[in-house]
Amino acid sequence: MYKLRLLCQLQHSCIRGLPPHRFLASAHKRRPQLGAVQSDQLEQLKSEYFARSEALSNAEWQHVRSVLSGRNKYISAHNVDAVILGMCASGEQLPLAKSYLRYLETSEIEPNAATLGRLLRVYHSAHQLRMLSDKEQSEIMQICDRLQGSHEILDASSCENLIYGLVATTEHWQRAVHFLQMMKVTSTPTVSAYSAVAAKAFTCSQPELAWRLLEEMLEQRKLPKCEVYVAQLESSARDVAGFALQVDRLLHFLGKHNILITDKVAQQLLNLAQQMPQQLQVTSTHLERLGKCAACQQHLEHVAISEAEFASLRDAFLDKVLIRNDIFQKSTPAEVERFKRYVEQTAPYDCVIDGLNVAYSTGNKKPPTQLAQLLATVVRYFKERRKRVLVLGRQHMRSWSKPAMQYIQSNACVFLTSNISQDDPFLLYATLHSGQDTDFFSRDLMRSHAFLLGNELKSTFRRWQQEHQYSLATQTQPMGKIVVKEPIRYLLSTHKLDKGVWHVPCIESYTANPSDRFEVPQRWLCVKLAATN
Amino acid sequence: MLRNLVRWQACRILLNKSAVAQVAAVRHLSNPFKQNPHEKAATEEPATRIKKPGNPFAKATVAQELSFNVEEPETVIDKPVNPFGKAPVAQELPSSQHVSETKEEREKRLKVLQLEVDIAYQEGRRVPALEFFQEHHWARVLELPTKSARSKYYAFLWQIEMKKESNQRKKEERAVETERRVAEIRKERAENNHIVYGLAHTSMFLRIYDSTINHWQNNRLTRAMQFAPKLVLDCSYDQYMTNRESSYAAKQLMLCFAENRMNDEPFDLHYCNSNFEGNCMQILQRYIPTMHNPEFPINVHRECFTELFPKKQLVYLTPHCREDLVSYDPDDIYIVGAMVDTVNNEPLSLAKAKRLGLRMARLPLDRYLQWGAGSGKSLTLNQMISIMLDLKKTGDWDTALQHVPRRKVVDYHNEREALNKRAGKFNVRIDHLLKSEGDRRTSTAFAEPQKLRHRKEGMDFKLDSWATGKRKTKQSS
Repeated sequence: MYKLRLLCQLQHSCIRGLPPHRFLASAHKRRPQLGAVQSDQLEQLKSEYFARSEALSNAEWQHVRSVLSGRNKYISAHNVDAVILGMCASGEQLPLAKSYLRYLETSEIEPNAATLGRLLRVYHSAHQLRMLSDKEQSEIMQICDRLQGSHEILDASSCENLIYGLVATTEHWQRAVHFLQMMKVTSTPTVSAYSAVAAKAFTCSQPELAWRLLEEMLEQRKLPKCEVYVAQLESSARDVAGFALQVDRLLHFLGKHNILITDKVAQQLLNLAQQMPQQLQVTSTHLERLGKCAACQQHLEHVAISEAEFASLRDAFLDKVLIRNDIFQKSTPAEVERFKRYVEQTAPYDCVIDGLNVAYSTGNKKPPTQLAQLLATVVRYFKERRKRVLVLGRQHMRSWSKPAMQYIQSNACVFLTSNISQDDPFLLYATLHSGQDTDFFSRDLMRSHAFLLGNELKSTFRRWQQEHQYSLATQTQPMGKIVVKEPIRYLLSTHKLDKGVWHVPCIESYTANPSDRFEVPQRWLCVKLAATN
Repeated sequence: MLRNLVRWQACRILLNKSAVAQVAAVRHLSNPFKQNPHEKAATEEPATRIKKPGNPFAKATVAQELSFNVEEPETVIDKPVNPFGKAPVAQELPSSQHVSETKEEREKRLKVLQLEVDIAYQEGRRVPALEFFQEHHWARVLELPTKSARSKYYAFLWQIEMKKESNQRKKEERAVETERRVAEIRKERAENNHIVYGLAHTSMFLRIYDSTINHWQNNRLTRAMQFAPKLVLDCSYDQYMTNRESSYAAKQLMLCFAENRMNDEPFDLHYCNSNFEGNCMQILQRYIPTMHNPEFPINVHRECFTELFPKKQLVYLTPHCREDLVSYDPDDIYIVGAMVDTVNNEPLSLAKAKRLGLRMARLPLDRYLQWGAGSGKSLTLNQMISIMLDLKKTGDWDTALQHVPRRKVVDYHNEREALNKRAGKFNVRIDHLLKSEGDRRTSTAFAEPQKLRHRKEGMDFKLDSWATGKRKTKQSS
């Protein structure tokens, strides 16, 4: 049943042209809105009346209304209007929506606030297809005034609808900023609302306002939609003199916040480069080994973090991750003390190995001899390269195979925690306190630790992690040789090289909440701007 | 040196003060969560409680407890023990983010939220009508931090509203139906001239009311409070649970009390560390309104269990430790943490037991049960109490662990029965194979199947030993 509903949704989304992954991603979390429950009869109704985009007569509207409220037990007089307007939401169905409003007028039914809000959304979708006429804009303004006059402070969804409506006009869009502020009383403004206003601000040549809104959005950790960047590029293209500067500013912004642009924006950049070849040259490329760009043959910048950032990360780590609120959840005070002393005595290291993570890399149920053997192999890998290592583990490892453990003891420093302590935080603590050059060896993605560090330190931590994490990829079968994945030492976000060439990573499509990336982006753009002062 | 100092202080207190003061001092000092950060003296507990002379020069374990307890009182309540931090870590409570707003601001926000509900209702979303909301609903709504939290709460209220409406509708339908039926019977009887037979709800049995049973069970509980072993439910986890989890925990606490009361040999149950203003205890009060009455046989304490019972007897049952509980010891007081941990999976009970220096154990679930895939090994509180009650009574883990829901356990018994049935159709005896499954060596296809009638073993006639006066001891097979 659950799968059937997914299929139906996919089918409908294909009809409407919305991206299907939007439904798949969190379909199990989203409940469909009650009015939008599509049963067979409603489907028939939809195809019969709503597929054509012309106005319907009063009698037909009455029939639709009665069918909807009769057949579905959750739709009745108070919400059927909004439901109907929700069904004619696309830009071409604007005449349909307007005819429904006319029908309501003739039957002397007062449209409620939700209905008017939804009408504004329809105007907005129409605006994205074509320019709205003056008459339509004045209609929008009437509705806005009506909605605004009824209450002093409006709730978040009404504000969002008003923003959509105002952005569709040419002269009155500035008021939308006021509604953005009003939205903050009850909730953080949505990505769509922010994106709509920012895109309009760019289009109407008010870039400062737009940049301010974008910075605000990123403080709330909301990613701007593609339309914002497209609008920015289009508007800067109109002013040929300052074009390079504007693009430069955009690229700085992307790099600072570690944003990947979508294929749509990349396409826009390519188009602009074709139009103005003196100002902008863009090539689509990928990365070769060791971070070399295939187009310009230059190496990308190193991902190292600054001394100050490293120091703050190191200082915050013990408190925020290991101890947090209660030292006893992860370890005991005596053990932490013992570990600190040990690290002081035996630091610095070249690599800190998470013993249990490495040992269990090839499988959970292996006998202890094999686990110890794998660990010894990793220690030997580092010994061959003349590196000094620290191995972390738990007390029960003492009972693993003697020869392997003796090899490890003689070729590495070893620290064993008690069997009920967590060993991950010890690993990161040792690595951080050993210096900027120390790496660590673990397959763990360290997501919980990244979260516990808090937002400011999380990005620093991720960059540091990318630079320093070795992991065991696999072990070849007959020979037992290990394949080690070395850390990616070049920067994976938008940045500028010394010669003034920008490299911009791309992603296929927009996701609202991207999770942390651990792979190198496939597609990159190599951007050369005209000389800016 | 510090240790000696501490021992000397303890000695001084114990020897110089009277017994009552000793006990008072001990009770005062032993609770690490007590709001008295200025106590410098050490604690020396278990001895005085059991009325033995306190031995301050006892073994290392005591000294270790001392070292723990010396550190604790120097910090403020609930502050993390951070021996390495430069300054005490400021604890950020997750719910204290809202700045206190003035009354007008609150009124304004309330109005906006009411508008939000109204508009959502007009759009056909899952919110109830404005008339459904009451004061306490709005109080809860105003506390919720984000819009999505509010939508989920509205959806919950909407479900309640829909259920109410549906119940109302069904009630009316049933009323109509009953009317019709009664009218029909009356009509039939009116037309009929004969006598109507039947007892007409008369009965010769005495009606046993619920309250009688309750009184009888409460009486059992009062006897248990005097003589039975004790079990502690530690209710200090309010701040780690969401509202929903607190209400689930409260319901489970109520069920614990009920299960305990119903059993033939109940425990003396103690609810320790309860915060009466917290959500969990408030909902428990709704389930058991007479909870705070002095004559009701429930022990609810604000204090910690370390103040009420000697530490040596306490064993904390936590799923996060490594040692299994091997057998039930009636002298030990077992502690179960009253927490629903669906959201929060930190090892809080382990941390607490470590910090207080108590013994820890976990139920030997892995040893006695084959755990099925896809179900967590978490047990509800009432299941725990039932397991402990059965364990106390029988000492047998297999019967005690019957209380673990069967859906979590891979059930070999049903499969075995099905297999046996099928074999029976082919006239093949396989129970000797299935019985000694664990012992591979003895179960072979050629082993002798056991006789059907086990009752008559030892009763068959043996000529050699009849009337000889010798008893032939039968070797166990």
